[in-house]
Amino acid sequence: MNFVVPDFYPAAAEIFVAVMALVIMLAGAFARSVRWLAYTLTQLTLVGAALITIFVPSVDVSYTFSGMFVSDLFGNVLKLLIYLAVGVALLYGRGYLADRRMERPEYYLLAVLMTLGMMVMVSANHLLTLYIGLEMMSLALYGMTAFDRDSVRSTEAAMKYFVLGALASGLLLYGMSMIYGATGALDFVSIKDALYFQTANKTVLLFGLVFLMAGIAFKLGVVPFHMWVPDVYQGAPTAVTLLIASAPKLAAFAMTMRLLVFALFELAEQWQAMLMFLAVLSIILGNLAAIAQSNIKRMLAYSGISHMGFMLLGLVAGVVSGETHNAITAYSAAMFYAVAYVLMSLASFGMVLLLARAGFEAEEIDDFKGLNKRSPWFAAMMMIVMFSMAGIPFFIGFFAKLAVLQSVVAAGYVWLAVLAVVMSVIGAFYYLRVVKVMYFDAPADDAPIHAPAEMRVMMSVNGLSIAALGLMPQGLTYLCWIALLASLT
Amino acid sequence: MIISTYTMLSSGSKLALFIALTVLALLAGALLALNARRRLFGCAGARAVGFVGLVAGLPALMMGLSRVEMEMLYRVVPLAPLAGALIAGLFGKAVGRAGAHLVTSFGVLVALAASILIYVDVLAGNTFNDTVYTWMEAGGITFEIGFLIDSLTVMMMLVVTFVSLMVHVYTIGYMSEDPGYQRFFSYISLFTFSMLMLVMSNNFLQLFFGWEAVGLVSYLLIGFWYKRPTAIYANLKAFLVNRVGDFGFLLGIGLIVAYTGSLDYAEVFEEAGNLASLEMAGTGWPLITAICICLFIGAMGKSAQVPLHVWLPDSMEGPTPISALIHAATMVTAGIFMVARMSPLFELSDAALSFVLVIGATTALFMGFLGIVQNDIKRVVAYSTLSQLGYMTVALGVSAYSAAVFHLMTHAFFKALLFLGAGSVIIGMHHDQDMRNMGGLRKYMPITWITSLLGSLALIGFPLFSGFYSKDSIIEAVHAAQIPGAGYALFCVLLGVFVTAFYSFRMYFLVFHGEERFGKAHDAHHHDAHADDDHQDDHHHGLAPGQKPHESPWVVTVPLVLLAIPSVLIGYFTIEPMLFGEWFKSVIFVGDNHVGLSELAASFHSPLGMAVHGLQTAPFWLAMGGVALSWYFYMKRPDIPAAIQRRFSAVHTLLENKYYFDRFNEVFFAAGSRLLGRGLWKGGDQALIDGAVVNGSARLVGWISQASRLLQTGHLYQYAFAMIIGVFVLLTFWFNRG
Amino acid sequence: MDFKTFVFYFLGAILVFAALRVITARNPVHAALYLVLAFFTAGGVWLLLHAEFLAIVLVMVYVGAVMVLFLFVVMMLDINVERLRQGFWSYLPVGALIGILLVVEMTIVLGGRYFGLEVMPEPPAMAEGYSNTRALGMVLYTEYVYPFELASLVLLVAMIVAVTLTLRKRKGTKYINPDDQVAVKREGRVELVKMPAEKE
Repeated sequence: MNFVVPDFYPAAAEIFVAVMALVIMLAGAFARSVRWLAYTLTQLTLVGAALITIFVPSVDVSYTFSGMFVSDLFGNVLKLLIYLAVGVALLYGRGYLADRRMERPEYYLLAVLMTLGMMVMVSANHLLTLYIGLEMMSLALYGMTAFDRDSVRSTEAAMKYFVLGALASGLLLYGMSMIYGATGALDFVSIKDALYFQTANKTVLLFGLVFLMAGIAFKLGVVPFHMWVPDVYQGAPTAVTLLIASAPKLAAFAMTMRLLVFALFELAEQWQAMLMFLAVLSIILGNLAAIAQSNIKRMLAYSGISHMGFMLLGLVAGVVSGETHNAITAYSAAMFYAVAYVLMSLASFGMVLLLARAGFEAEEIDDFKGLNKRSPWFAAMMMIVMFSMAGIPFFIGFFAKLAVLQSVVAAGYVWLAVLAVVMSVIGAFYYLRVVKVMYFDAPADDAPIHAPAEMRVMMSVNGLSIAALGLMPQGLTYLCWIALLASLT
Repeated sequence: MIISTYTMLSSGSKLALFIALTVLALLAGALLALNARRRLFGCAGARAVGFVGLVAGLPALMMGLSRVEMEMLYRVVPLAPLAGALIAGLFGKAVGRAGAHLVTSFGVLVALAASILIYVDVLAGNTFNDTVYTWMEAGGITFEIGFLIDSLTVMMMLVVTFVSLMVHVYTIGYMSEDPGYQRFFSYISLFTFSMLMLVMSNNFLQLFFGWEAVGLVSYLLIGFWYKRPTAIYANLKAFLVNRVGDFGFLLGIGLIVAYTGSLDYAEVFEEAGNLASLEMAGTGWPLITAICICLFIGAMGKSAQVPLHVWLPDSMEGPTPISALIHAATMVTAGIFMVARMSPLFELSDAALSFVLVIGATTALFMGFLGIVQNDIKRVVAYSTLSQLGYMTVALGVSAYSAAVFHLMTHAFFKALLFLGAGSVIIGMHHDQDMRNMGGLRKYMPITWITSLLGSLALIGFPLFSGFYSKDSIIEAVHAAQIPGAGYALFCVLLGVFVTAFYSFRMYFLVFHGEERFGKAHDAHHHDAHADDDHQDDHHHGLAPGQKPHESPWVVTVPLVLLAIPSVLIGYFTIEPMLFGEWFKSVIFVGDNHVGLSELAASFHSPLGMAVHGLQTAPFWLAMGGVALSWYFYMKRPDIPAAIQRRFSAVHTLLENKYYFDRFNEVFFAAGSRLLGRGLWKGGDQALIDGAVVNGSARLVGWISQASRLLQTGHLYQYAFAMIIGVFVLLTFWFNRG
Repeated sequence: MDFKTFVFYFLGAILVFAALRVITARNPVHAALYLVLAFFTAGGVWLLLHAEFLAIVLVMVYVGAVMVLFLFVVMMLDINVERLRQGFWSYLPVGALIGILLVVEMTIVLGGRYFGLEVMPEPPAMAEGYSNTRALGMVLYTEYVYPFELASLVLLVAMIVAVTLTLRKRKGTKYINPDDQVAVKREGRVELVKMPAEKE
């Protein structure tokens, strides 16, 4: 047995985050009285990880740990976005947790470990590492969902999330075992080769693919694997909802890409058909169900379901009758959509957090009544977010939708694009209802909005970035495109 | 160490550092000089230092800017006012009143400085036409932001930034007591940005953006005093009338895109020859005529040509600086500018040019008549603006584009001067605008008086004044023109000269000479039949009996003086290069079959010669006749106008009611469209669309969404079951696909 | 059918039966015990596959530790089984239908056609002295070190979550601190106060 010590450089960021997690744990155990320590260390960890991710790994694709870990531009870009999303989400949630006496070091510790899980997922080149990363992320999320342990709703949501998540994990593992059975390989490169040289049994592969798809769909939260989404979003403390609804979507996107595109690209025609099925159902159900909601967290949950459906449309359009020249454009459209969604999701749940205060949750749409009178600036920010989510031109959401729809049309699925547009027009109703409530209804309470300065600033930056990226989407578009180009070819 | 660090910097960062430092010095200087915080910098020494900083900073800023890459400079021009507008608008409370006017004025100052440098660069023969930013591509058409910098653009840039700067400074005095001070500054800077984007554009998209943006700001500013119902009515009117024009404009752009597939000026102009040979699909109309008339309808809305002129007089509800900046000097001339820019297209259609000519001539004369019966000082100037815009349009119609643009420039200066002068009078009269309450003001407001006189002389085209050169050139060009309608136009413009002189000096005499009518029987005019019914000024104070008007503060008079200089001189110095020289040669295109200014060029020798020659021509004597008549009527025999009014009451009533345009619009268009709207609403909308389509589908959507809510039972095993079914469906689905 | 095959089917049958009983047994204690049985038989199947180490770990960890804990929980919490089973019969037809269809579909794919001995050749016999445990140890700490370390972190996450969610200081509960108890001295307990006698 000849064993070579693996090259640690490509995984430097993961190692750093893991070590820091232990440091934060110790800090949480021995310096509990220093309230700001865990939070500060967490943010520093994220910044440090970002610096490492930017400077340490090479731009080229490199494998390490016996081919279980891959460092490529695609993964590194997504990791950076994940740090950003987690950092912003923690910043938004801090005041909320402190008001509810939930700001304990464990929260940040779990957030760091969740980040690590996502990083592992994003960089996985092996079914096993992908699965372990997924579990690490999910376990931390289950725990955080139940963080308000005296609240019945919170624990119930955590229980549902946990049981359904376990079921989904089971399905995913089963699918993975089938893939292994068919190809005899666990790492994505070998799986890809096995498929390419057609040494694998296709029937078994497809059988496994169905179960893989179930696991992926659960993580993305698309119909019919979406049932947990509204209940968990509503039940979890809003700060945790924000975490669930932001960075993990990027990780789930990465997982989808790694499994379907990096490993099972040869089966594209098959999984595209499945994704199309999931996407169509999600767009229809997400938009329609959102209309009936009066709870804004629930409404955003359904809106998230439809957004994920939209994002999948980009993946549907990659391969058309064997032609792959459209693929990179289509996948980068999906990636752009995922990033745009995370930005908007952060801002929208951030607003819910901004309006909440000790003893009061701004969970109902009615709580946004007359926001314009209370704070015109944040009403404008919320309006930007809602417009962007509705896909009104010149906000990032519009370009995300446009790019996805363009690739769908280029792939020849005009009916799909028409359906998506019709449903997003219907969907615009509930976003605009929020705007209407903010601007035309009398405020129900006129308590001034008090939030820490850093949250106000971040919220403004977040809202303005949605508008600015709508005016100048090229940079991000190009980033998504080049990341995929450099990693896939 | 600092020095060694400095030497290590790249030249670009040195430059940035330099500009930043200069800006800092300037701002500090301005703060100290204007003594914005009296308590902090109370001593005279600090103020002196401030002035020195200001005086030294300006040349330094120019030097710094001059070393910037030209391409960067192009971006600086529109962005500096935008930055000012954003700061004043978003952080108005934080920066305070002084901060708001400093930052916006400074932004415009930077834009002006940069424009001057660009002008020098263009003078050296460098032009620029390129995209600076591609926004998106869709369906083979690129949407971009690009700059076309040539002689026409740079002239407009100079006019816009200069007048805008003057208005900024003037506003500091004029609006000093207004609660919406910061908002106002934000708007006018935003306007400057929009207007610069409009003139600097190299494509139709950006042109349209600027077009709509200036319209929007104009709308906001007309309704600036949003508590006055008349202001709201006026801004709504402006908005609606402009929509009609914009619709035509958009249609024109749409036709261009449909047939050339491009939004870029240069590409479209290259295709122009092909366009001329095409016909509109299905109608048989020459395409180029349709395009030009559509575009010109846009210009008619923006530049207030008959019959889309009705919004401009009402726009006087806005604060006076706005009337000067937007509704006299810059925005309303956007239509003229656009047509001049599109000269390669317009030259291809005689029909369109005749249309332009007749509309312009009608506006020039008939709007002038209305100026005679107005008693509100601002409205007189407003109608004179309409009439002068008519002159510019006439020049466009006879292919004398450069004369139109020349008149645009001179007019911008003297009309801004007249408006600001009127504003100064209004300040002096404590916001009484009725000329019948004025008189003899020259004693009390000497600077305003002199500058207004200079402005009026420029307006009537007195030889050697700027207006003389531009207006005379237009009249000569009409004289030489041969296209259909030229005879009518010549009659209109000649008679227009007389009318212009008459109403200008009527205003001048009524305001500055004669007996002092202020401070008496103050509310007499409220019961007067003349009282302008849609002008009920709620901060209408007027002078109390015995109170005397006084000269305005220096922030008001300095812009007047600075504007008076170009009003008098600029024509003399620029006519030769602009009209007959090379200045517009590569920019404005005149077809071989059109005379344009070529005949005039043949007889032109020198500006002085033209002035001497001007003394012997009909326009001069017509103007003098007008002045003399107004002197006789309003100084010598004030009873005559009243008698005429009685004798020809029908004519007077017609003029009083502005030829019933408003009535017509109200009865025919407004009521008619309300009627039509109601019919469509009841029949089409409520029954068919609302009933069947909207509510029907809304009900369906609502029903489905309620049903989907039922699916979400909250029971865990049902959720799990849904997942299993999902797997089952996927599996089965795939089995069936094989 | 040789003896090994017989043992496989025997164990397999018990495994399936036990697994079914886990979800059908009315008494939760019975269900847990059936789960123990299922683990045992699964361990037996693994032994047949030469995975001795994993088989023993399965029995030790799951049967020895996890299930005992599980039984504790089940017995200490009074779970109302009837309430949990509410609606069982009303959902049974649909559930059974879908379940059967799924099983049919899975059988079609997995029924020997693709995984039979014809398709998958028998693995080569292991050399003398081959140790499954040793082989596992070798790859676990070399080739699979990355997922191994990560798995330890996953366990850490689980620990942290468990501790966070359950460890709490209840208000109103009284603790006896043994340290203080032991350290008690007479002076801390009794105080002698001198006072003059008082008359009634």
